[in-house]
Amino acid sequence: MTRIDPEALAKLLQGRRIAAVSGTNGKTTTTHLLAAAIRSGLGAHDADRVVTNADGANLHYGIASALSQAPRADLAILETDERVVADIIRLGRPEVLVLLNFSRDQLDRNHEIKKLARSWRDALAAAGEDGPVVVANAEEPLVVWAARAAKRVVWVDTASTWQEDATMCPDCGAILLRRNPHPETGDPGDWDCPACSMTEPSAAIRVENGQIIDRHGVAHDPQLQVPGGFNVGNAACALAAAEQLGVGVQDALAGMRTVTSPAGRFATTQYGTTSARLLLAKNPAGWHEALPLLQSDTVVLAIDAVAADGRDLSWMWDVDYEQLAGKKVIATGPRAQDLAVRLAYAEVECTVITDLAAALTDLGRHVDVLSTYTPFQKLRKLGGLA
Amino acid sequence: MTRSVHIVLVYQSLLGIYGDRGNATVLMRRLQWRGFEPRLTVAEPGRPLPDDADVYLLGGGEDGAQTTAVRLLQQEGTLHRAADRGAVVFAVCAGYQILGTTFTIGERDEVMPGLGLLDISTRRGEQRAVGEILTRLRPLPGDVTPLTGDDALVTGFENHGGMTTLGPDAAPLADVEIGVGNGDEARTEGAVQGSVVGTYPHGPVLARNPGLADFLLETALGTRLDPLPVAPLPALRRERVAAIRATSRA
Repeated sequence: MTRIDPEALAKLLQGRRIAAVSGTNGKTTTTHLLAAAIRSGLGAHDADRVVTNADGANLHYGIASALSQAPRADLAILETDERVVADIIRLGRPEVLVLLNFSRDQLDRNHEIKKLARSWRDALAAAGEDGPVVVANAEEPLVVWAARAAKRVVWVDTASTWQEDATMCPDCGAILLRRNPHPETGDPGDWDCPACSMTEPSAAIRVENGQIIDRHGVAHDPQLQVPGGFNVGNAACALAAAEQLGVGVQDALAGMRTVTSPAGRFATTQYGTTSARLLLAKNPAGWHEALPLLQSDTVVLAIDAVAADGRDLSWMWDVDYEQLAGKKVIATGPRAQDLAVRLAYAEVECTVITDLAAALTDLGRHVDVLSTYTPFQKLRKLGGLA
Repeated sequence: MTRSVHIVLVYQSLLGIYGDRGNATVLMRRLQWRGFEPRLTVAEPGRPLPDDADVYLLGGGEDGAQTTAVRLLQQEGTLHRAADRGAVVFAVCAGYQILGTTFTIGERDEVMPGLGLLDISTRRGEQRAVGEILTRLRPLPGDVTPLTGDDALVTGFENHGGMTTLGPDAAPLADVEIGVGNGDEARTEGAVQGSVVGTYPHGPVLARNPGLADFLLETALGTRLDPLPVAPLPALRRERVAAIRATSRA
């Protein structure tokens, strides 16, 4: 891919108010939620003041391309790949930076997730008072470790249950303790380092039982059209960011309720006689959140392991496929055989049909489809969604 | 007659970033399906490791996790006692490196002491080894079902910066056909020393390679096991071996 001249990106960013969204999971949806919240706050006649990279193209080139197509938009809501965050801070001086979460993803390329967190932390420290207000997920120690370098942070408790990458204190390496866990709800409790000053910050905005509790303690039913508890957490972050840009809670919520299928996520389409809802999950934390959303009796899981998916499929063994017991699974995609072995050891019934079109077409029923990145893009095209 | 078998996943949250818990899942199921009564302990730092297990499993982790794990395991001494009494200690990637006498961490290659359960030492190589790997198991010690032909092939994914040198007390686990492995001139992969086995490929490796899984179980139990067909496995193994060989020719 063309590596864009950083100065060109800097010029395109210049003169705009910028909010950037990053993290391992939920970037695209949160960016859509935030853009919708901002548009709602501006009102219909001003909605074209907002530019966003709506299709998930979140590297230098994708961001520059979106900006270049909207020279007059003075508000930019930018989904930003984890590796681009430091450049956006340096080149764009964003007002707000949303840091959602940090978990293992594409380890064949990223090797150590802490290096990415360090790049965020260093960029925030270097920006100092010119840096962004950070909206950060208080539940993730690595996010907190990076965000603490910002001039000001709005902490959000997203009520996430994934904690596989939150064992060690990112600052001193001690094993983190958990306070007040609620095993019955899957809530791991607040984290706390026994050896240094790192501890879960108290959140200004939090998610509780599917509601968003705002900074005044008022509970809001988000009534989102995008499903899943993790999207309530994403909406809480988008709400906090919208407030920083001057949009009130009610306007922001009204906007976010219009979001249905960001870049094809959660869209329903037809493949012959099959009606299929498409869900995307790119890493174990994403699969952990998405598997409980599969409602149909027959589900299709689409797997590949080319560079854009991550070349290593080891993560499958961190996913609790055992919860699919009782469903019929169709494993598809170029690496369906790897999934079939995983499912065999999970004692889940599975049929392998490697070809995506053959697996999806003419099942004569509704199915939920959960897919890694490249099969997801192919399924969108096959289903006429892209 | 059923027999209980105790498997311990050592510090899953520190040494488990490459789906390494899958190795425990595989061993548990292979025992269950044969009528054993396996028991799994997921051991976490801060609590003592069980001293009575038949198999201890260690997986991959980052630099910080490696040094924390070594410090805690050294204090514990459980793995040393386990190796002395012939229990199986099976370690992958970072877990493999920390079983050695020394390994290096960080950009400055700081030399850290390992647990010394394998006569190996690891230093950072010039290039990180990332990609699919294909190896052939050497004849394994002890009274086990010998693996021959394609059954001795091991496939997995390697992702490590360290290159490992074997000392005289450790024997290579396998020979590399495609990939890096230990990164030595003899093109070996992994190490075996008594009942302690270390290797680089994950995937996790026992899921893809049932022969290696059963070798560990036979070593732990001191008895031969009947073959166990798992329906999708032969197709996956054929596909992976062919794919890795095709890519390396391209």
